[in-house]
This record gives sequence, C-alpha cells and structure tokens, in this order.
Amino acid sequence: MAGMEYIGDITYIRQILAGKTSDFSYIVDRHKDKAFNLAFRICGSREEAEEIIQDSFLKAYRSLNGFKMKSSFATWFYRIVYNTSISYVRVKKKGVLSLEDFPADATDFVRDNSSDEEAEREYRSALIGFALQKINEEERGLITLYYYEEMSPEEISEVTGISKSNIKVKLFRARQKMLEIIEKVEKKKLVYHE
Amino acid sequence: MNEQERYDEDLLSRYINPEGIEKAPEGFTSKVMARINTVNEPVKATRRMHKISLVPVISCTITILLVLSVFIIPENRGDFMALPALEFLKSIKSVLPEIDFTSFFRFSVPVTLVYGLIGILILSLLDRALYGVFHKEK
Repeated sequence: MAGMEYIGDITYIRQILAGKTSDFSYIVDRHKDKAFNLAFRICGSREEAEEIIQDSFLKAYRSLNGFKMKSSFATWFYRIVYNTSISYVRVKKKGVLSLEDFPADATDFVRDNSSDEEAEREYRSALIGFALQKINEEERGLITLYYYEEMSPEEISEVTGISKSNIKVKLFRARQKMLEIIEKVEKKKLVYHE
Repeated sequence: MNEQERYDEDLLSRYINPEGIEKAPEGFTSKVMARINTVNEPVKATRRMHKISLVPVISCTITILLVLSVFIIPENRGDFMALPALEFLKSIKSVLPEIDFTSFFRFSVPVTLVYGLIGILILSLLDRALYGVFHKEK
C-alpha cells in the first residue's frame, strides 16, 4: 500500500509477547479470510468454520510463546487451523451426501439481476463445494491448500505434516475422486434436460 | 507430473476459482478479541527455557558413583563400617564378582561384561524410579 509500511507478523508477535495484547487483532485481520476458507472447505458449514477459526486463533494466542520466530507465522497458524478442522469433522462424523442433494442445473443458481455467466460461476462453485464434501476431510484440506491457498506440495507438507511425495499421491487421488463426482453430476444434468 | 495428472489438474482448475474464497463474517475480529480478553491466560513474554531432563543425569551420576565405590572402598577396613551408606556399598561389593584390573588390559570380556550389565540394570531401575518421581511433579 502506498505510503504505508508493511509490518510483518513477527513484529506484531513480538509486541503481543511484550504485553500488547491488542496487536493480536492485526494478526486476526490478516489471516482470518484464508483460514476461514480452509476451515469452511473442510467442514462445509459457515457456522462451524467460524467456531473452528475462533478456536484456532485462541489456540494460537495461548501458544504464541511456543512459536519459533524463524518460520512463517502463516504456516504455523494454518497447521493449527488444519488440525482443528480435521479433528472437528472427525468428531462430528457427518452423513454422506448423495448426488440427489445437488441441484441439477445452473438455472437453480439464477438470482434477480444475475446474468447467465454469474449463474454458471455460482453453479461451478457449488459443484466444487459439493464434490469436496463427498471426499474425506484430509483430501478436502489438501485440495483447498493446493487450489485455493495456492500452496506448493512443500508448503502443504509443512502445514499437514504429510510427506511431500505422499501429498502428491493423495492430491492425485482426491482430484480423480472429485472429477468422478463432477462427471456424475454433469451426466445427471444431461438426463434432467432430456 | 505425468500427462494424466496434468490433465486432471487442468480439468479441476476450470472449476476452482482461487479468488472465490469464503470470507470470514463481519465483526469476526472483534469476536475473537473479545474471547481473548476474557481468557485470563495471557501469553508469557518470556520464552520457555529449554528444559534439560534431570532424570538421566541423576541416574548416571548415582550409577557411576555406585560402580566406582565398588573399586574405591577397601574390602576389610573396620573404621569404614561405622557408616551405614558405606556398609551398603560394601555389601554391593561383596555381591559383585572380584575384578582383576590387569584383566582390563588383557580385554577380559566376561568380567567386564558382568559389571557392564549390572551397571545397565542399576541405571534402568533408577531411571524408572526417578521418572515416576519427576512425572508426579508435573
């Protein structure tokens, strides 16, 4: 931003550790959206994602003195979000969605004043959300980190603790599963139109 | 990355829009800060000191002292026997096989092996006992 000096996470963390608790709000502001997206993609509900992220920030705050300043705060914090989300979903153990749970057509996403193009985008976004909920929570996390957070397999490995080679294998499988689901939904869409 | 992987990735990329991330709700930061302010557990300014486990240090010291005492304490000295600790050490000495120092230089494996095994045994017993003591403190 012009005229404004970028203050890194580490500077804020040092101030928080020195007793300036209010500076934690800068950290929350900076990371809340990406962290929220990760939790949301893993758990599939905005309410639950909010709960997960609040808990994750609280955990991060409590263990801030254990954070090694040499590494990236974002990676460290994403690890907390990822693990909290996975544990949360495993405890909840939601039922499996069926293909019937997904609306068949993009027209279902047409709202007032929205164009066909917007409706198509909404449809694709919902389809991805649906396909994500059909794969397991670990795969959801990996797909989100790779496609939405645009992390490399090395960075994903740091966040999840899974080896780089294993991440590539798991990503490949998750991708194939999602494509199968998308294909099935698209076929259903064709039947719906016939 | 092989052809199939690249194809799958491209296909999925068509559906996923990295810009379309779900954002945290309005007022989220203030909610988190409110929770943080109610937590009566502020982060500690001082970084935790690296904890050195005392258990192996104490175990090793005691074991070394016990084994050394077997060599150092003379076998038949009446004045030493007045102390109960020395009495105990003396009893250990009488249980252990007699060691011939010259045998070390001739690499007498069986005798040194016995002492080694006894040392390991004492060490492991003390280690378990002290671990229990230190663990209770936590």
